[in-house]
Amino acid sequence: MNQKQDVLDRLRAAVVAGDETKVKEIVQEAIRENVDPLEAIEKSLIPGIREVGEKFERMELFLTNMMLSADAMKAGMSLLLPRVPKDKIPKRGTVVAGTVKGDIHEIGKNVLAALLTANGFDVHDIGCDVQASAFVRKAEEVSADIIAASALMTTTLPGQKDIVDYLKSMGKREKYVVIVGGGPTTAEWAEDIGADGYAETAVDGVKLALRKLQEKK
Amino acid sequence: MNVTKRALTGPICSERDFDQRIFAPKLAEALKQCEIKFDPDVLIPSDDGTADDLFKAAMGFYADVGTYCLDTERIIKFDEDEIKEGLRDAPSQAVFGEELDAGVLRPRQPESRELPWCFIGAGGAPVSSEEIFLSLVQAYGEINLADAVTTPELTMIDGLPIRVQTPLEIFGSIRNAILGRDALRRAGRPGLPIMNALATAASDTALIAALQPMYGLRPSDGYFVATMAELKTNYELMNKACVLTTLGARIGTLAGCVMGGYCGGPEGTALTVTAHHAHGILVNQATYHLNHPAHMKYISNSSPEMLWLISMYAQAVSRNTHLLSLNLNYTSAGSATDMALYEIAAQVITAVVSGVSIEAVGLARAVYVDHLTPIEPRFAAEVAHAAAGLKRADANEIVKALVKKYVHKIPNAPAGQRYQDCFDMRTGKPSRECVETYTRVKNELEDLGLGFKY
Amino acid sequence: MITYMDVLKEIHSGPIVSERDFDLKIFAPKLQETLKAHDVKFDPKNPVPDDDGLADDVWDAAKVFYSDVGTYCLDTERRVKFDENDVSLTLRTAPSEFIFGEGKERRTLTQRKPEDGTAPWCFLGAGGAAVSSEANLLSLVQNYAAIPEINSLTSPGLTSVNGVRIAGGSPLEIYGAIRAVGLARQALSRAGKPGLPIMNCISTASSAIATIAASQPQFGLRPSDGWLCGTIAEMKVDYGVLSKGAYLLSWGANVGSETAPVLGGYAGGPEGTALVNTAYNIMGAVIQKASYQLSFPVHFKFGCNTDRHSLWSISLSGQAISRNSALPVFMLGYLASGPMTDMVLYETAAWVIAAVASGAHVEAEGVCKATHIDHFTPMEPRFAGEVAHAAARIKRNFANELVNGLLSKYEEKIKNPPIGMTYQECYDTNTGEPREDYLKLYSRIKKELEDLGLEFRY
Repeated sequence: MNQKQDVLDRLRAAVVAGDETKVKEIVQEAIRENVDPLEAIEKSLIPGIREVGEKFERMELFLTNMMLSADAMKAGMSLLLPRVPKDKIPKRGTVVAGTVKGDIHEIGKNVLAALLTANGFDVHDIGCDVQASAFVRKAEEVSADIIAASALMTTTLPGQKDIVDYLKSMGKREKYVVIVGGGPTTAEWAEDIGADGYAETAVDGVKLALRKLQEKK
Repeated sequence: MNVTKRALTGPICSERDFDQRIFAPKLAEALKQCEIKFDPDVLIPSDDGTADDLFKAAMGFYADVGTYCLDTERIIKFDEDEIKEGLRDAPSQAVFGEELDAGVLRPRQPESRELPWCFIGAGGAPVSSEEIFLSLVQAYGEINLADAVTTPELTMIDGLPIRVQTPLEIFGSIRNAILGRDALRRAGRPGLPIMNALATAASDTALIAALQPMYGLRPSDGYFVATMAELKTNYELMNKACVLTTLGARIGTLAGCVMGGYCGGPEGTALTVTAHHAHGILVNQATYHLNHPAHMKYISNSSPEMLWLISMYAQAVSRNTHLLSLNLNYTSAGSATDMALYEIAAQVITAVVSGVSIEAVGLARAVYVDHLTPIEPRFAAEVAHAAAGLKRADANEIVKALVKKYVHKIPNAPAGQRYQDCFDMRTGKPSRECVETYTRVKNELEDLGLGFKY
Repeated sequence: MITYMDVLKEIHSGPIVSERDFDLKIFAPKLQETLKAHDVKFDPKNPVPDDDGLADDVWDAAKVFYSDVGTYCLDTERRVKFDENDVSLTLRTAPSEFIFGEGKERRTLTQRKPEDGTAPWCFLGAGGAAVSSEANLLSLVQNYAAIPEINSLTSPGLTSVNGVRIAGGSPLEIYGAIRAVGLARQALSRAGKPGLPIMNCISTASSAIATIAASQPQFGLRPSDGWLCGTIAEMKVDYGVLSKGAYLLSWGANVGSETAPVLGGYAGGPEGTALVNTAYNIMGAVIQKASYQLSFPVHFKFGCNTDRHSLWSISLSGQAISRNSALPVFMLGYLASGPMTDMVLYETAAWVIAAVASGAHVEAEGVCKATHIDHFTPMEPRFAGEVAHAAARIKRNFANELVNGLLSKYEEKIKNPPIGMTYQECYDTNTGEPREDYLKLYSRIKKELEDLGLEFRY
């Protein structure tokens, strides 16, 4: 088997296995072998994480595997991206994801973050119990396209509205797509508060994010 | 509910913008209106007009600025009419305590002969053990002049240090309530109100947890709801107010404005403390107002500029409202020192003559564990009773003389002694040295013209 | 024996680890290791397994797993770990009888066993779902109380107070909790059951402050009600949870350990979920000093637990716990569909049969995933209570047959379930009478079950 293909195959496998150490090793090997970094990203890292995402949706793999693979993939990206000419860097959508103030549930948000990464987004997970202004500050800092806010309790739902209100007060509402999700969230609620979209599950969240990104372009 | 609605719908503003673009400029504007100026020679001014100007400017200032809610990042605002209504409808008297130990807290006026309410004890200072807690609180209860007690704060529970917002704080607060009531029973004053409920409970959860009736606290005690500096609140504080009002409990709003902080100098601080009274009624739903302005550097409030600003706000509020306002003094020096007694005398005389009642005393800024005794609160109450009826000009001379005795020592004030080192905890008897210091200082005060009643 | 203070000591002195490392480097690998060692395998054909050896194996595995992994405290970023001997001793010496309610509604709760013939405790009502108005809350609770099988109430939650939406952690949550509590107790009085315990205290309050505030005696709740302290997925607590516990235990109240492992999350597939659910029972007894475990594993994709995988996890963990633990376990069903649909009653029957035959008590139930406001009625918990009593007397293999049959009727629709109608659309909320067509639907589905061999009391 041709050497380059072998490296690419092993790199993809390491991503699927969620082995961050191995990914870093193989990336170094790829660099030494003069494998095109963009090719390594597009033929190994991204397909690898996508494969994990698909297995997750089929329940062949679960959240832990997703997160380990996402970490491994990010580790590979951080080594390869600096070597890609700026004009060739694939434009990925950027998402700021978090659970709203007063709410510490994060599994759903973690699943979404991992799936978004698997689908090529650059995801900034700001954790849980996050104030509205912190969502916006992060979005400004990383020039996000999308703010994804999760709430798992009826009493923390208003935190999602707070983000929309905050954006309006700063005159930045049109700058970001705001999508909401989590247990008690409904499409009606999303419309009431002026969000751009609602997703019942993390998988739906990814589809929504992809669609909104496309619309934004 | 009204306050909560405003916290959720008021104008959005970052905290930084509130501090720097609203609070500070509006304060400067308000100060220009009332033209007050600290004069180190006149620590207790006798100028009614200035006090009234200060009050008017402070109310206008509060109408402009409002209260900032940290959790919603919005401003809770009231207009001038609402403020006037709030002041008008605020309680003008309140009964605290039960049965034989019940008493009525009433507003006073500058130079009034009306005896001040003496809310005395630990000023919330920390103690290391339940044994010390019990002994101290019993001793406070035995002070005849005590109208209400301020208990210490427990720092340990079953050998573990108490941490805020943890289950340990809950256990500690429950223990504080139980022991406080038990100690007062031992003093033969089971109905005496604990008015700083609860020193061990900083968080809302811990305070409310300890309110279960079986632990000993009652609606006729007094419950603190603090304010964040300056003119700020958050959900935790609002939650406390919400539950306490629902239970019919008497809320004491705390105002610890920092002289040298956002308030600027003594003038700005006097104005801010005055404005806090409006905040206290409207946001914290207060029955009484507990003011403890703090010096940015020293924390205590016995230095000349602090005394002046205490006098100013006290006169402004007492002359223009019927609010139940008290001043809490923090000394630089610690227990069993003559310096602490000089400071207490200066602070208490200032407060009482200027028209408010007192909470006494936070010794050595209430930071040293176990550095508190029953002598200082007793002394404070005796001074308070003696000062009722003094003219402001006469009080000014006494206070200036006292300040000379300690002002140079403020930066390096003695921490004093621990309770267990200068008192027999079993019998409650002080050491000879303590008694001598107390007696000597009292004589000095009499020589300065303060006529003790006891 | 491990005391609550021991737990508090340990959360401040246990091994330090980041949350991420706890999840990915300790919890997940240990779970996989344990499952492999005990050879636990999901059998899609048998959602109600009939294998005592497997159930006991899962219990033993859960004890070892819990002793290895411990509980994670989010606020201190430390693990609370006790050795297996201490855990075993605490389990052995923990109480096994718990009293709920007052007056003529006062009753003792103990653990059941699979196939023991005893009626499960029926904790019936809204499953914590929310109503749009106080009038609906009053009407619903009064009608729940009228259900003959009810032993305790699961009260709905409010979403607003005086027209203002409740924001968690704020005074509105406190007002909402106080209001909801007062209304629920009033409604129970109207139904002639003022002593009936409310066992999901307090559904309008998730924060510690709101729970504690609304527990003041003048508002209507009592230590003999049931007070939920929610754990955090997976195997985590924080100061809020522990503070609630500190308060409730000081008050002498019944603590409910609320556990919701996510199938597809860190707990992995159905095997991991079953094991983690079992480990939670141990955690509830040892750490939270609970009087009952309230468990609702949830499928991460569907948001309900009436799918085949979840039912298997519920059944197996129910058996493991009921056969081996003194801490009574309730399973709470979350249904995909809503009222006035065949599917809602099929789903109800499926999970209740699975849970009861496996030795668990039941909380019924979260209709429409408990996320759609007003989308639940007294019909569903009433039906659940009747099925629960019928299922108490059946063997697991028969339960398995029934559940498989029921699954075939709705399984395909879980992804896009019908949300049905609101309470006010299918009931006269003044009289508490259901619409004629809902009654007919209920009768038809009941008859179907009877034809399959399930014997109802009436």
